[in-house]
Amino acid sequence: MSRSKLVVKGEKYDSSDRVRADRTDLLYSHIPEGETLVSIKDLNVTYRTDEKTTVAVDDFSFDIKKGELVSIVGPSGCGKSTILRCISGLLQPTSGEILIGGNKCTTAGSDRGMVFQDFALFPWRSVRKNVEFGLEIAGVPKEERQERSDRYLKAMGLSEFADSRIHELSGGMKQRVGIARAMIMHPAVILMDEPFGALDAQTRNILQESLVNVLKTSSRTIVFVTHSVDEALFLSDRVLVLSKRPATIHTVIDVPGERPRDRASPEFTKLRREILSYLESQNTL
Amino acid sequence: MAVFKYDENNRRHRFIRTIVVTVVSLAVFLVLWWVATVLMNDQNFPTPDKVFAALYDLILNGDPIGGHSIWEYIAISLKTFLYGFGLALVVADPLGLLLGYVKPLREFTAPWIEVVRPIAPIAWAPIFVLSFGSRLGPALVVFIGIFFPLLTNIIFGVQRIDKNWLDASKTLGASQGQLFYKVVLPATVPYILNGVKVGLGVGWMCIVAAEIYNKFGGIGQYLVDMVNGGLMANAFAAIIIIAILGLLTTGVAEYVSKLVSRRMGMDA
Repeated sequence: MSRSKLVVKGEKYDSSDRVRADRTDLLYSHIPEGETLVSIKDLNVTYRTDEKTTVAVDDFSFDIKKGELVSIVGPSGCGKSTILRCISGLLQPTSGEILIGGNKCTTAGSDRGMVFQDFALFPWRSVRKNVEFGLEIAGVPKEERQERSDRYLKAMGLSEFADSRIHELSGGMKQRVGIARAMIMHPAVILMDEPFGALDAQTRNILQESLVNVLKTSSRTIVFVTHSVDEALFLSDRVLVLSKRPATIHTVIDVPGERPRDRASPEFTKLRREILSYLESQNTL
Repeated sequence: MAVFKYDENNRRHRFIRTIVVTVVSLAVFLVLWWVATVLMNDQNFPTPDKVFAALYDLILNGDPIGGHSIWEYIAISLKTFLYGFGLALVVADPLGLLLGYVKPLREFTAPWIEVVRPIAPIAWAPIFVLSFGSRLGPALVVFIGIFFPLLTNIIFGVQRIDKNWLDASKTLGASQGQLFYKVVLPATVPYILNGVKVGLGVGWMCIVAAEIYNKFGGIGQYLVDMVNGGLMANAFAAIIIIAILGLLTTGVAEYVSKLVSRRMGMDA
């Protein structure tokens, strides 16, 4: 098959073990929902400049279960985005490792999709061509690309903008494209780096609801970095609360209730107050 | 009398305004030219009416000395220009992308480029015409003129590529080669076109100078012949033709560059 491609380069894979780059989730179909899919082990990130050494992440370990949405919240500059970039493989940790289904990840690959705060869309491509980018890279034939992008454009409410140019879209629409572009690849895990951070409050809420809707029909494993406690509680199965830099895990909160959640419920309000008061105590400014 | 009320937001009004301003400006220019030449009373600086009479005669009857039509001269100049331009495109595009993409190579070649680039392209003209002949020589001078603005623009463009585009592509599974063809190449197109735009202007300046060293070669040669023959009105007519051709080439380049950048959603 010409579209086959070896995605994860680890000892466990040999040349007979080829995997479609556009369906890396199939690699881990043997792992049941709720079991550990992604392991972060003893992650250390140290930045060195001539003047000083900054420890951004210090011995950070955490397991992410298959099919869950984990949010990472923490005070500004605590290193939460750094952790996410290490998982994606875009940043090499000083030490420690990222395992997906037991396989060590070294470089970036299509098994770890990413949604960026500033969208990172390609302005020279139409909305549809942006969504299809990964499929094109993986060598998926045109008809299949079209059929799959139709589905995701529809799911994200983008059908009528399929042929639009990126600069013609509002910020909210842009991030819908970003989410569709990541999800269409069926990565093992989707990493979202403050995806709604650049949007106004109203658009944010609408996009959070869209995400919840999409997840109802298609189970995904998502790591979601945000500085909005409200957003984390609204979306996540678990919320990881981090301390100030270098980040250590303060608490892990199992958020009760099925999505979509009531933002005004007493439980929701209580949790939010607890987390916020902790974050304020960690604020170094 | 109906008063014409100018409306800044009306496209037609803006267009009319541009036309009117241009026409009035050119008319004032002609008047200044006429006054200056009358005051100077120097036969080396003919009045506009004499120049335009010569231009009219040139277009109708051709070159009074060499016996060639003006279109032959223009054709030779354009051909030389296109050769130089084509060669610059073929060499500068891959080289610029490569140097922009591979940092060690860029660092290594930077001194070469910085030494050669500031040399006025015209300085090469006598050497190139002597060594490569009157056909290839001028084309190479044009090449030098277009090559460096094009090259530096492309290198700059590659370095200006949004790092997030590369990151996004990597998380979508792109290999190094795919990064290049699917991101670096399209992202650099507006810079290539901007380089072409700047390069064409410089290239056109070079052509006249390069042709001065020719036996029979284009509009630059015609200009020199006329000056040597003391036919100053004809010389100025040639200058007007050179100006119009230059305006046309850069105008077309600017239009194409704008159009493509807008189509691609990136105004470089």
